[in-house]
Amino acid sequence: MLVMGEVHTGLLQNSGEIPESSARDVLRLLAGETVRVSRRPIAYAVSPDRLTGVDCRLPAASQSRVRGVGTVVSRSSITGGRVVQGSSYAHVQRSGSDRRLAWSHYLARPGVIEVFGKARAEDLADGFTEDPPADCLDLGAISARFMDTVQASPLLDRRAPFKIARARLRWVARTGEPAIRLTLHSDQVRTLRIVHEGEFTPAVADLCEDLALHDWLLTALLVIIERARVGGRPGPEAAAKLAPAVDHLLHLWMPAARVDDALAPFWESLDRRPGFTRQWQSLVDRVRDQVAVNTLALLSATADAGRRRQ
Amino acid sequence: MTSVNATFGEVAAERRIASAPFSHVSIELGHLYMEDFEAGPERLREQFRRVAPWVRSVRASWQDRVPGRRARVSTCFLIDDYFSPFSTPAELVPMVLDAAAESDLTIDYLARESSCAESDGVELARLVEDRLVDDPAPETNGSRPPVKETGWLSNGARSPQVGAVQAMGKAQRWAPPVQNAKRGHSIFVDVELWDEAAGRRTWSCPFLAAVWQLLRLGLLRSEGRLPLRPVPREDAFPGDWDSLPAVVQLNPAATPFSAYTTLSVLSPRFLPVELAVRTILSQVAVDADVLRQVAARSESEGVRLEEELVDRISYVFT
Repeated sequence: MLVMGEVHTGLLQNSGEIPESSARDVLRLLAGETVRVSRRPIAYAVSPDRLTGVDCRLPAASQSRVRGVGTVVSRSSITGGRVVQGSSYAHVQRSGSDRRLAWSHYLARPGVIEVFGKARAEDLADGFTEDPPADCLDLGAISARFMDTVQASPLLDRRAPFKIARARLRWVARTGEPAIRLTLHSDQVRTLRIVHEGEFTPAVADLCEDLALHDWLLTALLVIIERARVGGRPGPEAAAKLAPAVDHLLHLWMPAARVDDALAPFWESLDRRPGFTRQWQSLVDRVRDQVAVNTLALLSATADAGRRRQ
Repeated sequence: MTSVNATFGEVAAERRIASAPFSHVSIELGHLYMEDFEAGPERLREQFRRVAPWVRSVRASWQDRVPGRRARVSTCFLIDDYFSPFSTPAELVPMVLDAAAESDLTIDYLARESSCAESDGVELARLVEDRLVDDPAPETNGSRPPVKETGWLSNGARSPQVGAVQAMGKAQRWAPPVQNAKRGHSIFVDVELWDEAAGRRTWSCPFLAAVWQLLRLGLLRSEGRLPLRPVPREDAFPGDWDSLPAVVQLNPAATPFSAYTTLSVLSPRFLPVELAVRTILSQVAVDADVLRQVAARSESEGVRLEEELVDRISYVFT
């Protein structure tokens, strides 16, 4: 019927970026399972998938009571040794039965939640992307736990270079005529609706994680620039406030780095409108210009002081 | 210039899952504990006499399922060297083999129970414990981590603690435990997975038996590799259990140790243990890639496997 997921993205609670070996240790969430790591075009490490069992109401916009039983797939990842994500999703399918079956039935279909009765995909998609009621499936809490597990690792020093809120992206994916819609709700919540051709594959979840990562980067950079109050305070102070962006964020922009070729057009269309990369580039230019202007000012001040001494 | 299709791969970014060779069925001819050994060789002979007809019958039924080909049936025998080690391989193994031969049975593989806990530095029991996905009670929506009684696993919701005083000061009344997937009435099962004394963990017999079933079904991997490979026997059996490989291949002509399905021929006294084993196995999440691999493999030779792994396991209690 549809796939629903939620990705949480935040800054790793560590003073500097962590090396690949630490990322491997931090993400070892399952004995006997390798942490997958890729280095090109950006360092990326992802934990093994884990399952969480659920038996609860699913959010429906019509408020109809839809019960689902099954498992949610989750994982944690670290990008660039700096950004952490907790991601969960479940494939919602109609149950062939009208009552709950033995648990082994659901474990034979990892990542599938089976719903009883007359659920409509559109109703569930609307219900999930609006604010789901508290007693309904809570993918957010599950993703938050996968992010917290990483943040609580004893290998991290918990001295992040700046404070920034975590962002939540809720997504639903369905099969049909390709379309994508990203909506910004509050500062921290976004929803994404994807219609893709063919069967759902985990590559769609990868795409959502990649979009969530870049949306968070953009938000973080905006926040840092806002906090610097460029023009509202002396240049050197503003430039110092921008330094964390240069040290920790600017090199992380790598759109669609791990996105399947077949799904790349989704990224490209979002990049045309609203134009993620355009905005990012203009912000990066702004940060660099500020730093450059400030450097020039410092240089000329030093030169002036030198001339006066002669 | 025409466009060029570039492919780039990183070994560390890809998952590799070793595939296991498979028999059609793995038959466990027996499970030997100290008390059986102490009862003398006659107890063992009697066990094999009871088992023999079932082995013939299972072989024949698999032969019907794969007409024109040879049914691949492997047999195995498990010795408890974990809870109460006894005797030595040099003394015990020949005796077991002789007793089996009297009933025209061949033991293809001999395994040590302690290898289900740990073998060659791989803690198989931990590996399986990490893959338990608890059967959720109704109203479990993921907002809180699963409720766990450390070291226990159940198939439902436990009774609230009798006598516990709630915030309002009213003592809670007893309520029955409830099986999650009950049909009318509950059969609530709560299994102890392990206990600890002086910092040392002892896995329970049903938990090790669950690991044993997963090994026989070829569904476990450690870092993508097969955690246990049978080692061909040497001419003489060693004088202590630790020197014996985890799984010894006694019959050079045997079909593979792991199999699409398993059959265990057991005394009815093991019934509660096996109920516990099934309760555990119903909550083990086998790797999705491994499940697909085994399904593809069996389908390629025209064998359709049950989806749920507990349905691949059968028993004869005799």
